[in-house]
Amino acid sequence: MKKFHVLTTALAAAAFLAGCGGNEAGDQSPRVAFTAMVSFGDSLSDVGTYDVGVVKVQGGGHYSINGIGATGLLWTNWTEFLAATLKLSAPCAAETGLTPLAPYVPSLGDETPTFHDASTGGTCTDYAQGGSRVTAPIGPGNAALVVAGNTSTYSNAIGQLTVPVVTQIGNYLAHNGGTFSDKQLVTVLAGGNDLFINVATFQAQVAGGVDQTTAATAAVTAMGQAGGELAAYVNQMILAKGATHVVVVNLPDVSLTPYAIQAGTAAQALVKQMTVTFNTQLQAGLTAGSALVYVDAFSASEDQATNMAQYGLTNVTTPTCTTSSSLVCTEGTLIADVAPASASAPATAANTYEYADSVHPTPYGYRLLSELVGEQLAIKGWL
Amino acid sequence: MKKHSIASALVATAALCGAGAAQAQVAGQVMVKVGWNKIMPKVRSTELSPPALPGSTIDIKSASALFLTAAYMITDDISVEVLGGLPYKHDIIGTGSVMGVGKIGSIHQISPTVMLQYRFMPADAPLRPYLGAGPTFAKFYGSKGSAALTAVTNPGGTPTTIGGDTEWGATVEAGANYKIDKHWFVDAAVLKTFINTKAQLSTGQTTKARLNPVSINASIGYTF
Repeated sequence: MKKFHVLTTALAAAAFLAGCGGNEAGDQSPRVAFTAMVSFGDSLSDVGTYDVGVVKVQGGGHYSINGIGATGLLWTNWTEFLAATLKLSAPCAAETGLTPLAPYVPSLGDETPTFHDASTGGTCTDYAQGGSRVTAPIGPGNAALVVAGNTSTYSNAIGQLTVPVVTQIGNYLAHNGGTFSDKQLVTVLAGGNDLFINVATFQAQVAGGVDQTTAATAAVTAMGQAGGELAAYVNQMILAKGATHVVVVNLPDVSLTPYAIQAGTAAQALVKQMTVTFNTQLQAGLTAGSALVYVDAFSASEDQATNMAQYGLTNVTTPTCTTSSSLVCTEGTLIADVAPASASAPATAANTYEYADSVHPTPYGYRLLSELVGEQLAIKGWL
Repeated sequence: MKKHSIASALVATAALCGAGAAQAQVAGQVMVKVGWNKIMPKVRSTELSPPALPGSTIDIKSASALFLTAAYMITDDISVEVLGGLPYKHDIIGTGSVMGVGKIGSIHQISPTVMLQYRFMPADAPLRPYLGAGPTFAKFYGSKGSAALTAVTNPGGTPTTIGGDTEWGATVEAGANYKIDKHWFVDAAVLKTFINTKAQLSTGQTTKARLNPVSINASIGYTF
């Protein structure tokens, strides 16, 4: 029996000596060694186009809860979460500026539209701007929408540049020799502002006596057209110009936002139809292939609202910001339910809320979008 | 003390090699085997606990490693055997809704097992089939995450790591050995282990996985 004992002791010793080693992060490099991320779209991908003048002095710039680490998360916008995942430097706004709206908004300088991309020797490649539409140059917040003397309009129109997506892509091409590279990840997410403007038009028409069905049909048709146009821009101005890694995120279900909920069930139904029509035309128009990843944020947003707990959410209907636009929302302007216990502590309670304002996500909401995109990139073999 | 035991094992082995008396598997004999063992987990995992993308489950791929055993014949028919060997490294891949993300990590494990075996046929028969059963202790360690795992659990943040538990399970086996000469024999066996484990990510999510692997091995043995 002794010889058995010594042999088993030796075996066990060999086994356990090998059994050392901690748990490691492993290789964190994406499978494609991206060198840059280029983003086109609207406020959902804007990382500081309007971080100048009156917005800057309020600590704003992102359409979410502003301030690095304000909620304890490292980033604010989904493009920032994604860039960090891809080992790229944080995205920065390719163009900054505000159109001064004197006498409503005092000019604080440094508001002249200025490029920070290759055209000025800069490296910023996030062309997305709050208020931007797909094709039409005037979107929400544009100075052209200011109605003199109407203070309610003033609060919404702060002089946003709202350069439309078609022009954003055109600017990139004009400033970068007309091509994309195979080491760039190009992201496109737009359509929300076409929806808001078309809903406003619908409401104005109905108020002016136009038949409700006629007005609704026009609004839905306009969204379908915008979706088709966005697909054409992606095909002709991005995919056909050398880009081999393109991510198109469809429009999340806008009918689930506090903006639509507040408008009532009839409006919600219209908004949903407009969103679906936009996405249908977008997806149908895109040239599918190895260079394109189509991310279904619409379905994900619906699932997040239905199965909140699965995503770590507790509230998908209440904005966390007390400011009407999250563009100037910070840790200091949060509702009591999510405000931090002390000024120095992060507002971690906001990380269970989906929305910062009536349409824009909290940093956590953006992180969920980044996870969704990351999952699709991994499935595609890019990450 | 371990060093001393290993040394005495070597000394004992050397001394036994000179003895050369044993010819059959009879009571009191010691047999050692070295071979190759392949572990094929039959995974069924629960969904990763929230917050996580819904329907995130995992699969653990097969792994092979050098296999070492030592057996002691208690009677001519009943033996006790210790199964060990080098560590196994299993790839972990995403399944369920995250199917297609590919490899999300890897983990090492060792699973020493003690078997009580019954050997059929007379002690001096050239071919002796056997059945066995016993406890398995599995230790999971040395995991590695990946860019994909971090991207879906903590994008842009601290890379996510995977933690494994130590677990007890039960193993049954069926095998046979064939005597080549008075010392050497070949052996093959199929094992089924019943074992569950719980993996925890550094981001807090957990998943319970029923592993229940089937193992197959082939080895060459020496009877002292």
